[in-house]
Amino acid sequence: MNQLTYGVWDGKVYDFRNGSPEANDALPALSGLDTFAPDNTVQAFVADRGFLVFDPAVSLVETFWMYMQRAAEESCGKCTPCRVGTSQLRDELDAMRKGRGDASRLDAIALLAEQIATTSLCGLGKSCSRALQSAIAHFKEVFEQEIAAGETRTQHGMVYATAPCIEACPAKLDVPHYIDDIRDGKPSHALGIILDKYPMASSCGRVCVRFCELACRRKDAEGAVGIKMLKRFAADQAYTPGHSLFSKDLVRPVLDTPKRVAVVGAGPAGITCAYQLLRNGIDVDVLDSQHKAGGMTSVGIPSYRLPKDVLKAETEDAITRLGGRMLYGKTLGSDYSVSDLLAQGYDSVFLGYGASRGTLLGVKDEDPSLKGYYSGIDFLKDVHDHVEDGKPFSLDGEVVVVGGGNVAMDCVRSAVRMGAKKVHLVYRRTVADMPADHEEIEASEKEGVVFHCLTNPSRLISADGVVTGVEVVTMRQTEMDAKGRRSVEAVPGSESILRCEYVIAAIGQQVDRATLSEADGIATDRWGCIVADTDTLVTSREAVFAGGDCVLGPLTLIHAMDQGAKAAASITEYLKNGTTTVKPEQRMQRMLAASKLVSGECLDRELVDKQRFTMPELSVADRVNTFEEVEQVISQEEAYREADRCLRCYRLYSVITESPLAAPQTSTQYA
Amino acid sequence: MKAQINGKEYSFESSDTILKLARRNGIYIPTLCELHDTGHAPGTCRVCMVEVRTEGAEAAYVTACDTPLQDGARIYTRTPKVQELRRMQLDLMMGDHNQDCASCSRHGACELIDVADAVGLKKSSISIQPLQTAPCEAADSAVVYDQSRCIRCMRCVSICRDTQGVDALEVSGRGVNSAIVIKDGKTRNESDCVSCGQCVMVCPTGALSERDQTQEVIDYLADPKIVTVFQIAPSIRVGFGEEFGLEPGGNVEGKVVAALRAIGADVILDTNFAADVVIMEEGTEVLGRVTRSEGTTFTSCCPGWVDFAEKNFPQILPMLSSTRSPQQVLGSLAKTYLPNKMDIDPARIRVVSIMPCTAKKNEAARPELGKDGIPDVDIVLTIREFARLLRREGVDLRELEPSAFDDPLMSEYSGAGVIFGTTGGVMEAAIRTLYFVANGKELDGIEVHAVRGFDNVREATIEVGGKVGTLKVAMAHGLTAARAISEAVLAGTVKYDFIEVMACPGGCIDGGGHLRSKKRYLKHAQERRNGLFAIDRKTKARQSHNNLQVQKLYRDFLGEPNSHHAHELLHTHYHAHQQEARVCLKKIWADKE
Repeated sequence: MNQLTYGVWDGKVYDFRNGSPEANDALPALSGLDTFAPDNTVQAFVADRGFLVFDPAVSLVETFWMYMQRAAEESCGKCTPCRVGTSQLRDELDAMRKGRGDASRLDAIALLAEQIATTSLCGLGKSCSRALQSAIAHFKEVFEQEIAAGETRTQHGMVYATAPCIEACPAKLDVPHYIDDIRDGKPSHALGIILDKYPMASSCGRVCVRFCELACRRKDAEGAVGIKMLKRFAADQAYTPGHSLFSKDLVRPVLDTPKRVAVVGAGPAGITCAYQLLRNGIDVDVLDSQHKAGGMTSVGIPSYRLPKDVLKAETEDAITRLGGRMLYGKTLGSDYSVSDLLAQGYDSVFLGYGASRGTLLGVKDEDPSLKGYYSGIDFLKDVHDHVEDGKPFSLDGEVVVVGGGNVAMDCVRSAVRMGAKKVHLVYRRTVADMPADHEEIEASEKEGVVFHCLTNPSRLISADGVVTGVEVVTMRQTEMDAKGRRSVEAVPGSESILRCEYVIAAIGQQVDRATLSEADGIATDRWGCIVADTDTLVTSREAVFAGGDCVLGPLTLIHAMDQGAKAAASITEYLKNGTTTVKPEQRMQRMLAASKLVSGECLDRELVDKQRFTMPELSVADRVNTFEEVEQVISQEEAYREADRCLRCYRLYSVITESPLAAPQTSTQYA
Repeated sequence: MKAQINGKEYSFESSDTILKLARRNGIYIPTLCELHDTGHAPGTCRVCMVEVRTEGAEAAYVTACDTPLQDGARIYTRTPKVQELRRMQLDLMMGDHNQDCASCSRHGACELIDVADAVGLKKSSISIQPLQTAPCEAADSAVVYDQSRCIRCMRCVSICRDTQGVDALEVSGRGVNSAIVIKDGKTRNESDCVSCGQCVMVCPTGALSERDQTQEVIDYLADPKIVTVFQIAPSIRVGFGEEFGLEPGGNVEGKVVAALRAIGADVILDTNFAADVVIMEEGTEVLGRVTRSEGTTFTSCCPGWVDFAEKNFPQILPMLSSTRSPQQVLGSLAKTYLPNKMDIDPARIRVVSIMPCTAKKNEAARPELGKDGIPDVDIVLTIREFARLLRREGVDLRELEPSAFDDPLMSEYSGAGVIFGTTGGVMEAAIRTLYFVANGKELDGIEVHAVRGFDNVREATIEVGGKVGTLKVAMAHGLTAARAISEAVLAGTVKYDFIEVMACPGGCIDGGGHLRSKKRYLKHAQERRNGLFAIDRKTKARQSHNNLQVQKLYRDFLGEPNSHHAHELLHTHYHAHQQEARVCLKKIWADKE
């Protein structure tokens, strides 16, 4: 950490203005506060838990004015102390920084800061004035000196507003804000917040894995806020048949000259990247080897979870209505190369071709050419082509699916709907260990899937090139290791045979290594994933960016959309300035993550019981024979009630830096 | 489970909040945003601070309204710290509140001032700009909102959403710019709002009020060329006394007549008379539709309901009775029948209604309810404005000797007319007359208890006999109930011959134009209802068709009910105006910036 000059953190006062800290002085256990960006050191840091000053020249008045100004902006305005108090503190500090301060007001200001912190309704009010309160309590003379000196100096820096759910979201979606909009009666504004990040709001509202809900503080009370169901509600409200939300009206050109970008892959990463580039006024062609958009969300997610018309409206339709072109049936690696694209005059290329190859089980006698043997993703694709395009495909007999993730669940539930006689799920660990959503696991059980946990395939059994069964072995949990984790091991001699006509290996996917050739000049890692910068998504080749599963390996929809959006920002910057930079928000997010500043908080007040709403769904009898959407819509009234459960755990983090921070590349003028 | 408050032990249920326990035991904690009657406790005002001490923890300061009780908690409601927190809360609340109390519609009866007093606020030290960013309402809006007096208690949003199911309001802006506005940037009249005024009834301050038209009435009274014709709605006589410290629900009809004389009204009519005329017209309609098996008829005397049907259920409109509301029937007759009989120029007449209703202002402004651009009813005053009018004229109801209506044409009423003010009243009045028409004799016992009650949707099967036979009827009050019954009728899941709908919960006796009660919703509902039934019992004629002035009206002027002349003067038509909601992303993004 930088040389701490003074500050208060978690109630402990630090003051080294008259000498350096001794070796035995316990400093706050924070890391990564040294530099905000290369050649830009942090001079002061303000948070909910306190403030730290690293440079004695920092003006506390200016620092806290900037902080309170943001607090007043972020205040929702409903509860009295936060609405009026933050504005009042901002104005008092503003008077001081303009040389019109009155030191005799400092005690009243500290009292007001205490009032806001003690009596506000939500996390923002409860946290935004504590640092100021402690600063006046312990370093009042600094304020007095600044007031006496008149106008304060200009400082650089930023204030970042976030919450546990926001930081948990890969796309850093402002969850409390869109929940507020729903609560305030403005679901279309809620949708506006989501669509500012990515176009697939309705899809995400149906299939997101919800890192946000895992971070929700209501989780410790009656269950996390139903963030996903609210997202879907906001999206469903706005979609009217025959009317698209997307049009060229939404384009705000950022560049002075026309530029063209090729986006490879029409999955969530590619679509999001294309969407953001189009909004920035950049021409985009999206190429995909399939004949429809959506990538894994199209072929990999069955329509009982994500109807195809919903998906089309916010992938292909969004792109074409914004002026983009969809070029289908073109496969990178076989039909064209990255060099070809650049040679064709594209100014930049985004690679988002995903990870669409199934992984083998790695068991004895495994042969992918056997009739009745599928990888999870190939099986789902055949089901998709059958259900959507009427290609012949049927299941006759028993099915064994191996795996415990969402793809495995999609496979078993699809197999049920395809009329399999019996569907088995084989998983080497326990149900509790399954990475799949618990809702998916429960739905599979309800739909009659037979679970074989602590069971692992050991040999594939076939006759005349046709699968006839799978030999499985019973597993047992080992003792807990030092980190409290259990492993599993096979029980010797426990082999048994599971007779079946189909074996589906849904244990993961990988990148197709044939997509890139050495001549493309794009570095990949040992799993075949493209090496791209986490923040800027630049690859080893100039003008080429990459994101989504082809970089991350098979991950989630929200990760892919986030990378698509980040890449679009980088591509825009690259096309404008020839460079790419890390955004100040990204640096802040990294800084907060390094010291776990936003996670790990617990409820700080007793809550009136407000039960989480349960999504209505089709009955098991009504759904097992069709691919109709299982989850149904929630009503306006239910949405209000669910939104009202949000505690708005906002808090603000601010850095004062030596030099100015980069400005974002945006335009305010619509085309 | 047990908890202590101020050192004394009380037992409680697991779902209790601190406020509930304190209230149950008569311990006062000041509250402002909370509205117990509707279960509204948003925790936004942050006034009800209390201190909670638990074993081994520092004292905590929490809001009593939304903090559940913990077993063994020790709660203190008036430590110096608690008092200081509450006082500062009020200081802050006053900081962005327009304190020009003299110009406030809630002048003298404001919950905010009461709470400021309760916490001992002596001086307000904070002033935050801006006090007004949300646009004020259009000039033709019946209900007006003043952001500078809004304390963001969310009661209006809750009553509109949860009680009325209209959901016309949204919260716009943030921080001190936050405001309660009509959804999607619409004007009130083009929005889903039907101006039922229930939001006004729950507003603790003067942020929401009716558009004040008392000045226009005073100008009429001061103009010697103008003949002022006043009408008072059924509910006025049982909903006005408390303004002057008289018993709630008590009949002050005579004093209201005396007050109108005192301020110089030229002609004083009773809307009850018109209610009797409505029964003759609407009853005839229903009779015709029932005997011809033409399906359901809905009442149309409530303008909030008519507006609601026009905005939400265009398919219901053909089922709405074409008979105008009592206010408009009287307005129409006051500009035709009255000048004809009194031999004066109708152009000199100005009709002023005193109504328990905000939506009546919109009704009076409907172009089809007038002639040649001149409205039949010129001004509608809510009861609150009527109280203001009397205050401005220095009239104190307590000091007046009761007087009586003396208009020979349109002031007599039957008991059926007066019960129009309560849910079930229109239905009961109609049945009394339908029975007579069907059987040629009056209904035994007169009263129809099967249609009375307070459930939001009620139904009854009435054996009327004669050519009417069995009548299946339903009564719905409150717009949530109106929506439910409309949807059920359209879906075909229920079948009724005649359905009475009133937009306000309870009917007109709890209408959005009544006097406001502090911290209570529908506080005097029962007294007012009892008051109307008491008047009904004392009325000489208890059926509309036995009103002698009504008989004279038909004899001398209209001919038969539903005659051509009656149709021309007393019936109307409806227009669907549903709005298609379409989301414009560009506009939303622009709003966000």
